Amino acid sequence: MAGKIMSLTQAAAFVQDGDLLALGGNALTRIPAAFVRELARQGRKGLRLVKTAGAYDVDLLCAAGAVAQTQTGYVGFENLFGLAPSYRRSVEEGRVQVVEHACSTVIAGLRASAYGLPSQPTAGLEGSDVAAHTGFRQVKDPYTGGLVYMVPRIRPRFAVLHVTYADAEGNARIDGGAFEDVLMSRAAEAVILTAERIEETAFFVEKPDRTAIPAFMVQAVVHTPGGARPGGCHPFYDIDEGAVGAYLDSASRAETLRAHLDSWEERDYAVSAAASGGVA
Amino acid sequence: MSVDLREGASEEVCATADKMAVFLSRFIRDGELVFHGVASPLPMAAIVMAQKAHAPNLTYLNIPGGVDPRPSYLPGSTVARQLMEGALSYFNLMEIFDLSARGKLDLAFLGGAQIDARGDMNLSFIGDPAAPKVRLPGGAGSAHILPTARRTVLWRTVHDARSFPERCDFVTASGNVEAVVTPLCIFEKVDGRLRVKSIQQGVTPDALRAATGFDLGDLEPVPTTPEPTAAERAALGASDPEGVRLREFI
Repeated sequence: MAGKIMSLTQAAAFVQDGDLLALGGNALTRIPAAFVRELARQGRKGLRLVKTAGAYDVDLLCAAGAVAQTQTGYVGFENLFGLAPSYRRSVEEGRVQVVEHACSTVIAGLRASAYGLPSQPTAGLEGSDVAAHTGFRQVKDPYTGGLVYMVPRIRPRFAVLHVTYADAEGNARIDGGAFEDVLMSRAAEAVILTAERIEETAFFVEKPDRTAIPAFMVQAVVHTPGGARPGGCHPFYDIDEGAVGAYLDSASRAETLRAHLDSWEERDYAVSAAASGGVA
Repeated sequence: MSVDLREGASEEVCATADKMAVFLSRFIRDGELVFHGVASPLPMAAIVMAQKAHAPNLTYLNIPGGVDPRPSYLPGSTVARQLMEGALSYFNLMEIFDLSARGKLDLAFLGGAQIDARGDMNLSFIGDPAAPKVRLPGGAGSAHILPTARRTVLWRTVHDARSFPERCDFVTASGNVEAVVTPLCIFEKVDGRLRVKSIQQGVTPDALRAATGFDLGDLEPVPTTPEPTAAERAALGASDPEGVRLREFI
């Protein structure tokens, strides 16, 4: 089992300061949590994040001072814990630039990239200040003369996706809601996968139509069971509200954020380091 | 499995949550395609109860993509995996946006931190957007859904003058708003402006005026919102026995 399998540390090292990253999952479900913790441990700076609805992932990277910009439709802990405190503070103190989106315009920007186009028409936005604030322009449709909003291409350097099953080459299946993960894989220049389970290739040959992400798009595969925690991941585990609350208690100061990252380190590294021959 | 949230909540809060869920559900017509998004426990409870009560043929759409799920319990996160349990097909968020763009989404429920006299909503910034006093979470899909869905119903669990200003600090979304449900009243949008359709039982016109930042006009002819019926209470209790709808209040 070699292929593209590597440790979490090795995979996170592909990400450079200032990169544009699309983070898979939605809110607290199937998020690449172990991967973003590792980005924080490695001290990445200036990241620009793309996501329809973020929570722990976006907030933790803001708490770590790793984020320069967000392109999101929503960042918050829903009705479980409300506003995302580090994200909120980072924006209000001017450290993080908000490129205000609707979830649909994130999708339109990713579609432009996936379709190989510079921009993508989108429905909606009428009467909203989002278009003017973010600079989405209208063009005249050449056939009907009607005005259409155009969203510029969003091409992430990496789509970072936590999937349920992958093989060593990066073929991946997502059980449960896939959200925008598949689109992100097509829009990004390359894909980094963290996976609950590493399966033999035969698992994918049996139902190739269920392989949402083909290996040729994938640069790295990290075996990270529990990699979405404290978020949930169908069918393996639910959102751990206690652990999300513990994060929120610790995220306000650098020392306590460090303690949070340390407390997850053993779990985050356990399997991936062993699978890659113990090379950290 | 979550705990019974009703045990830790006051009777008043429980009653308000129950009423708002029931009042939201009354906007659902049988056979409709109905959607709620992220951070939406009240509409989630309202849709599931409508399915058990007056709208058994509705089709329930959500962000995880489970069409007509039969969740084993209602999750505190309204994009959690339980909303795919029992579903027979998969229709994800981008397909729901496209559906709405085609004019085929009948009804969507959307929340706002501010909802103004025109029925526009703000989930983006309080204060100057360039240097916001409060950075709100963002409007999720609302800027797309409000103008494209056939009908939308907004809700807000806090009704005060800051939440209901004449004009939002920032308009995150604007569009086909049919009604707004609050703890104090139900607004309907008539000729581009919110008008009180009915007042919740026990709320005086003066109290409603004091809690609203825009002019409400003459409230004399406005009726009282009918209280939840025994059948509605039973359907809600069976749909959300653990009181996940209370997540919006506590």
